[in-house]
Order: sequence, then structure tokens, then C-alpha cells
Amino acid sequence: MKASYTIYRVHLSIGLLSAALIAFQLALMQVLSIVQWHHFAYMVLSVALLGFGAAGTFLALLRERLLARSATIVPALMLATGLAMAVLVDAVQLPSVRFDSYLLFADYSHWGRLLVTYLVFFLPFFLGALAIGMVFVREAAAIGRIYFANLLGSGAGGLLALGLAWLFIPARIPALIAALPILAALVILPRAGRVPLALFALLTTGIMVWKVTQPPILRPSQYKDLSKAMLLPEAKITMERSSPFGLVQTLSSPVLRYAPGLSLVAGQAADVRLAAFVNGDWYGALMNYRPGDTAMVLDYTTMALPYAMRPRERVLVLRAGTGTEVAHALSEGAASITAVEPNAPVLSLLQGSLATASDSLWYAQGVSVKEMEPRTFLLMDTGHYDLVVLPLVGTFGGSSGLYALQEQFILTREAFGEMWYRLREGGAVVISSWMDYPFRNPLKVQATLLEVLRDLGVRDPALHLAAVRSWGTITFVLTRSPLSPAEVAGIRAFCDRVQFDPLLLPGLKGEERTFYNELGDPRFFTYVDGLFSPKREQLYEDYDFNIRPASDNQPYFSQYIKWGSLERLAGFFGNRSLPFFEVGYVLVVVTLVQVILLSFILIVLPLFRLGWRGGGKGRTLLYFSGIGMGYMFVEMILIQRFTLYFGNPVYAASAAITVLLVASGAGSYLSERFGEARRCLPLVLAAISGLLLAYSFLLTPLLRATIHLPAVIKGVVAILLIAPPAFLMGIPFPAGIAQVSKRGPEVIPWAWGVNGCVSVVSTAGATITAVELGATGVLVLAAAAYGMTLLAQVGRGQES
Amino acid sequence: MNLPIPIAVVILAISLSLSQDGYKEQREKMVRQQIERRGVKDPAVLRSMRTVERHRFVPPGSASEAYEDGPLPIGYGQTISQPFIVAYMTEVIRPRPEHKVLEIGTGSGYQAAVLAGIVKEVYTIEIVPQLGTSATTRLKNLGYKNVKVKVADGYWGWKEAGPFDAIVVTAAAEFIPPPLLEQLKEGGRMVIPVGSPFMNQNLMLVEKRKGRNLTRSLMPVVFVPFTRQK
Repeated sequence: MKASYTIYRVHLSIGLLSAALIAFQLALMQVLSIVQWHHFAYMVLSVALLGFGAAGTFLALLRERLLARSATIVPALMLATGLAMAVLVDAVQLPSVRFDSYLLFADYSHWGRLLVTYLVFFLPFFLGALAIGMVFVREAAAIGRIYFANLLGSGAGGLLALGLAWLFIPARIPALIAALPILAALVILPRAGRVPLALFALLTTGIMVWKVTQPPILRPSQYKDLSKAMLLPEAKITMERSSPFGLVQTLSSPVLRYAPGLSLVAGQAADVRLAAFVNGDWYGALMNYRPGDTAMVLDYTTMALPYAMRPRERVLVLRAGTGTEVAHALSEGAASITAVEPNAPVLSLLQGSLATASDSLWYAQGVSVKEMEPRTFLLMDTGHYDLVVLPLVGTFGGSSGLYALQEQFILTREAFGEMWYRLREGGAVVISSWMDYPFRNPLKVQATLLEVLRDLGVRDPALHLAAVRSWGTITFVLTRSPLSPAEVAGIRAFCDRVQFDPLLLPGLKGEERTFYNELGDPRFFTYVDGLFSPKREQLYEDYDFNIRPASDNQPYFSQYIKWGSLERLAGFFGNRSLPFFEVGYVLVVVTLVQVILLSFILIVLPLFRLGWRGGGKGRTLLYFSGIGMGYMFVEMILIQRFTLYFGNPVYAASAAITVLLVASGAGSYLSERFGEARRCLPLVLAAISGLLLAYSFLLTPLLRATIHLPAVIKGVVAILLIAPPAFLMGIPFPAGIAQVSKRGPEVIPWAWGVNGCVSVVSTAGATITAVELGATGVLVLAAAAYGMTLLAQVGRGQES
Repeated sequence: MNLPIPIAVVILAISLSLSQDGYKEQREKMVRQQIERRGVKDPAVLRSMRTVERHRFVPPGSASEAYEDGPLPIGYGQTISQPFIVAYMTEVIRPRPEHKVLEIGTGSGYQAAVLAGIVKEVYTIEIVPQLGTSATTRLKNLGYKNVKVKVADGYWGWKEAGPFDAIVVTAAAEFIPPPLLEQLKEGGRMVIPVGSPFMNQNLMLVEKRKGRNLTRSLMPVVFVPFTRQK
């Protein structure tokens, strides 16, 4: 059946569908982050994205039949994609389908539910990708321009998701996005067979409009902070605001209180007016703060330690959240407080409609607010402070690994080094940690501070480090000058007043460490002392958890897992409890294993049925695997590095992805020429590989050197750094497709399938590589992947 | 297949009695393998753990897992603690028959039932109304007469019934509520767990001694060497 529309319509249609698939992916990510947690979202979506690869295989198997009726089937698939997008969130909210990630290791029936969720999420990606794949095969001669439309659409989809997230509640967005595939279908509606397709379009549009006007009610996991808070008496959501930074909600209840690790001599905990949550996770408390207050609940926590040592006039609060540490500094008499907070919507609320709930704290005299990633601020700032305050590390009762894969650039050795240089004479950096068991957070904090002091060439680190311990928290203070006798006396007096014990202090006696708060496992003190020893390297090696300090290259402070220790720990704590030590990282590995298995079953295995006529199978597969892996690895590192560069996680990621996709699109547009001129392709691949290798060593220093520049110039720098490799990286896929199509059209699905399969596996693989080898390692591997592609291409050239 | 009613009743009775026996055996095994072996020695605690029918305190669908060595979900984001943790927390407060004990966080009522088998009076507070109501009914139906349940904010304790010889906090909080310390008798003991829902290995003991509140971090799985021996 011949299509009755121009090729430009096909470009437009593919662009719209591609935009929808990317926007839908991002919208689902947010929905899943609200009902579960972000790494579960990642796990579910990785599997869903296998739909791309599986579509290639499906197409390979039924190519003749599908292509014979492609003019009807392609728009029908687009409409089906729209329909799936419109109803998908409802489907996974059904009581019999809804899974709870916390229960995966406690109630094994939830694995079945997870499987159903996978299948449901798989559907729109499979249908949409099948439509794109059919066009790729049908228009193989003009693949460069089709791929350009695909990439340009994808870039636009990212921006669209960003815009929608500002305007609509997350539950409404997936159905809204469903309009795009419907539109994509209408653009290429054929003359013949128009009536049934038009009816289908009408039905899909009706359902889409219904779901937009009646969005599903999202039901978060019962283990999310907000769900638990909602069970409190008279709890109610008082405000809700959606944005790409997440869904901000505030909750009120008369029984909300705040006092992390409160001293047992404190009269009472602080009443909380409102609690703020982002995507259902605790973000902070809004408490009473009256200007002129000289006592507050935090005075009865270990966080008051630096103020007990000496007055602090100029204070820098990093990741200020809802401002409890700002209020604390004010009550301690600080004259100037700089509060740095990256979450723009939270800040705007705190300074706007919620200002009265915290007694206009953010407008108090001496308080200035910076909306930025704290580490970016540190890199750009030139001020000096008496105290730098970091947020509390870990969670009450021990980290359950929720943050294991989150880059925490303010907790790296380099970051503490920068804080040191921002201190005035007598100044200090303060960081507190929840006491956990097995011991992880406090040991890593201490190890980091000690290594920083050694990096700085401080002769006796013990004179620059003090720490006190309550029943639940430990606060460490890193001082610019050696601790004075007056400061040591102040710390002892503070400990006696609030019944805490000194942990690190010059001249400390062993029995002082447990005067008020004993530890069941006294080996903690052995480890603490061991970190001062020249043999600490041995402790890092032998300890069952990774307590080696994080670095800018591997900024995963909360990643404690050591794979070699898992078996031993499982023996002590039981298999069921074990995942909760490091659930985030464990799930990425689970994701990797399942995508490898599923991609083999869904993509590779069926292709064997199809067979392969002619030679060059190995080289073709190597070629498309290399570009799949290389592209994903580069994308991940660019997002990570530019987030730090711009100091805004949402916009930086979107900008990086958009520049990457658009530049790649331009590259693919021009690829048809390279496809013909075979000599050029090896050059392109060699250039990519060389550029990435150079970036693995130069990107971070280049960004560091230009981070102080105005935002506009930084934008230009970003484009200049991202566009050249991205442009080149857009060439190999369409050029390769054009080449293999000459061998026989049945090879295209193989190429596409393997590329899709490796791309999805690489998303999880890049994360694991970044944790284990660092950003440099990921870029070197990306360069190696393109090098592998180059070898395959050279081999193919010789063959032909 | 339709069975005559008397035959069906007999089959049901036989299967019920068989399953009850099965639970008793499982309970015995639980005490021997999970609790005694890990060092809980108090005879009164062991007796109570052998007596209380844990499978009646878990959701019906989880009854077959009731005696396994782990916590189980009971809904509303709450769990029933691992059997060993319940036994350990009970032993740690050194319960005596004349004691009056306060529990914060009734949950399904299992910890209260274990305490009720040892001490004179148990007062238990649950903040989630649904859980509090179902625990009240459950404990009443099972014949626990020395347990009083209240749906309220546990932060304030149960002042009218205090002071208490011991306090068991089963719902972990980021702080130890000051009013609870006030309601603890001189020489009394309070135990609270610290941990995520499925991993509450870390327990805290607070003792009131001569005006000082002493805390002790207790690790039930203590003596785990976290450094490998070379």
C-alpha cells in the first residue's frame, strides 16, 4: 500500500512521536518517584525501554507482512501508543497490580506485581518504537533525515516534559502527552482505510481527554514518609506545587514534632507548624522562629557543638532545606547568614506563601539566600565564614541505601578542601551524622575529614578535629586553627550540660567517651582511632563496608556496599534484611541482570529464528553495540558534570540532553554523505574516540576553570563542549544502518535490536561503572566503545 | 464437588486442629532456634514467647510466615517485629510479675501480648486509629485482660497510669519523648528500636539512675566483626 503524503509529513510525524516517547518517559519517572522512589522508577523504566529493542526484533520477524501494510499500520501503532499512554498510570494503580518496592524482599508476591508493571510499561514504548522502526526500514534510503527528526523530536520531548511539569500535576501529564502520538498519526493518515483509523483516533482522543480531565489518584507506597505522616491525627495536606524539581507538598498535624537526636535533658521537642515533603520524601520542618530567640530545640542536639566552642558571626548554611539551621544560627547570634538551597520551588514557597509559617525567617536581618547547588556555590563564592554548616548525613536508624547512587558533590574530599579555604581564622566546618549500625556514616565522615586535613598538609589532624556523640547522632567539627584550650573546655561543658559524650578531643580519656551514652559494640572506638593510624589503608581494605572518602570523580558518599562482604553480612543479618542496607545499589544490579536476561529473551533470541544471510555478523553486531554503549555512557557523564557546572539539577540535565540530541540530530542529518564516503566514517569514529579520551582528563578541569563565568558565557561553553562530540556521535548509527541496508534489509532490525539492547543495558552499566571506576573510567570506556566500533568498521571495509 | 455439611465440618475441624499443632511446633522451633540460640535466657520471656500465638497477630495471608525469622508487614507502613527482637526487647527491660509496663506503638498487639504473659499490667498506645482498634479487638478476643489499649499520641505517654517500671517503644522516632522519661520510675528501663521497617537490629536502652539518664546502644547481633580477619 502506498502512502499518500509527503516525506516531510513523515518527518513531522516521527518528530512528534519521538517527542512523546521521551516526554512520557520523563513524566513516568516523576510519577514513579512519587509513588515509589527514584531508583525504582529507574528500574521499571529500564525494562520498559527494552520495548525499543523488542520492537526491532518483532519487526525483523514480521517485516514483510508489516511493511506491506505500513501506511495503515504505522498510524495505527501511533494511535495505540497514545491509548496506552493515556490509561497506563490507571492500570498500574489497580489494587491487584500495584506493587510496593519495600515489600519486594518481605512479601515475594510483589515480584509478580512488578512483572505485570513491567509489561504494562513496556507496551507504549514497544508500540511507539515499532512505528518508528517501520519508518526506519521503509525509508532506509533517507535514514539520516528520519533519524534527525527522531533526535530533534526527542530533544524537544525533554523540554516539553520540563514545561508540562511546571504547569500540571504529575498524574495528569502522561495523558496530556498522549495527544502527541495521536497527532503524529493524524499527520500521516492515509487516504485508503481512513475511516477505521479516524474512528480509532476519535476513540483514543476521547479517552485521552477523559484521563486529562479525570487524572488518576496517585497512591504512594505506605512506607514513604508522607504516607506515614498522613496517618497522624488530623493530618492534612495544606499545599501542593508541581515542578520539574518534584512535587512539593506541605502537611500539618498537631502531633508533628522535630528534634533529631534530642538530649534526654531537654524539656520538650519542638512543635512543627508544617512539614515539607518532595515526592513524598521528608524535606524539612517549618518551626516557630521568633526574632530574638536565644534558645531553641537544636541547642539540645549535637548540632549545637560549634556554637558551644565560640561565637559565630558569619555562617554559611549549605543545602538549607526549610531553614532549621538558619534559624539555629540566628538564635545563636550570627550577624550574617548565607543560606544555599538548590530546590527553587521550595525556596519560592518559603519566601512566599509559607513565609509566615516560619516567622519570615528568610527575610530576617542578615539572612541572604542563594538558589544554587551548594557545591557550585562553593566553587564560585569568594566569601569567608566563621562556620560552614552541612546537612545531617544519613537517616534515622541507618541509611537504607536510598542515596547510594546519588552524586553528593558537597561530601567529597575536594568539597571539604574548598570549605576549608572559605573559613576565617578560628572558623569551622560542622557536619553531623546519624549513628547507624553497622557503623558506616560516622566512620566515612571522619575518614573524609581526616583525609582532607592530610591533603591540606596539616601536621597534626587530631588538633583540628572534635566530635561529640549523643544517643543517636554524632557531630564533627573541622577547625581552621588548632583547637584552643578554651574551645576544648567549651566542648566539655557543653557535653556535661546536655549529657553527651566527647568522641574526638585533644587530651580525651577513654572512659569519657561513654560516660552518658554507652555503646553495645565498643569496637566503634577502635575503628574511630584506627582512622588516625598510618595503617588506615588496611582498615579501608578490611572493613566490610566502603568507608573510603568520596571524591569528585566518584561522588557517591552513601555508597557503602562491598560486593565481597555480602555473603558474610547475609549470614549475620539474614537475606531478607540485607537488601535494606544498600537497597539503591542492589536494585541497580538487579536491573542490570534483568535487562540482560530480558533483552536476550526479547531481542536476541527471536532474531536467531530470522537468521542472517551473508557474512559480517560479528562485526555488524560489534559496530552497533559499540555506539549503543558509547552514547549512553557519554550522556550520563555529561548530565552529571553539567549539573554541577550550572548548579541546577533540572535545567542543567535538560539543557545537556537537548544540546546532545540536537547536535547528534544535525550529525545524523549529514550522515548520508558519510555513508556514501566510506573513508570518512572511520575518521569520524576515530575522532569521537580521541575526543572522549581527551574529555576523560580535560572536561572536569575545563569546567572548573570556567565555573565562575556569567551564566550566558557558561551556556556557550557548554554548547562548545557538548556539541562537537555529540555532532560526531550522531553520524555512526544512520551511516551504519545505510551500510547494512545494502547487505539486505533483514539486517536492519538486527542492528537496531542489538543497539537498543546494549543501550538499555548500558544505562545500568554506566551507573555501576561510575560508582566503581568514577567519571573518568566511564568516559575512557565510552572512548573504548567507539574504538571497538572503529575496528568493526575497518574490518567491514576490508571485507567488502 | 458438594460435600454433606457434617463431613465438611469434620474435615475443617481436623485441618484446623492439625494447623494449630503445626503452629505450636513452629513456635517451639522459633524459640529454640531464633531466640534461645541467640542468647535470650529469661525463663519468663521464653515461656511467654512459647505461649503467645504469633500467627494471630499477623495479617491472615502471612500466617504461614508468622514464625519465620524476620519482620512482617501489617499494613499502614508498620511491621510486626522479628520474633527475636520482641523477645530481646522484653528481656532487656527485666520484666517482673509485679511490674506495670507502658508500650508505645501497639501495632498488631503482639509485643503487648508477650508482656502481658509476664507482668501485672500493660498499657499500650497506638497513634494509628485503625491499628489501635483492631489490636484492641484482637487482644480482647484472645483473652488478654491485663492489657489496656489507647488510641492517642504516644509522645505524651499515659500520665494517669504512670509512673511505669519499664517502657517499651516499638515505633522508632527521631527523638526520645521527654514526657516518657518523666513517667519512668527511678531505676526504670526504657527500650526503643532504631531502624528501618525491615531492619530494626539496633536497640537503645535508657536507664534512669539517680537523676541521670544513661543510654546504652544494644546490638542484638552484636559482636559482628566488621573487619575481616587476615
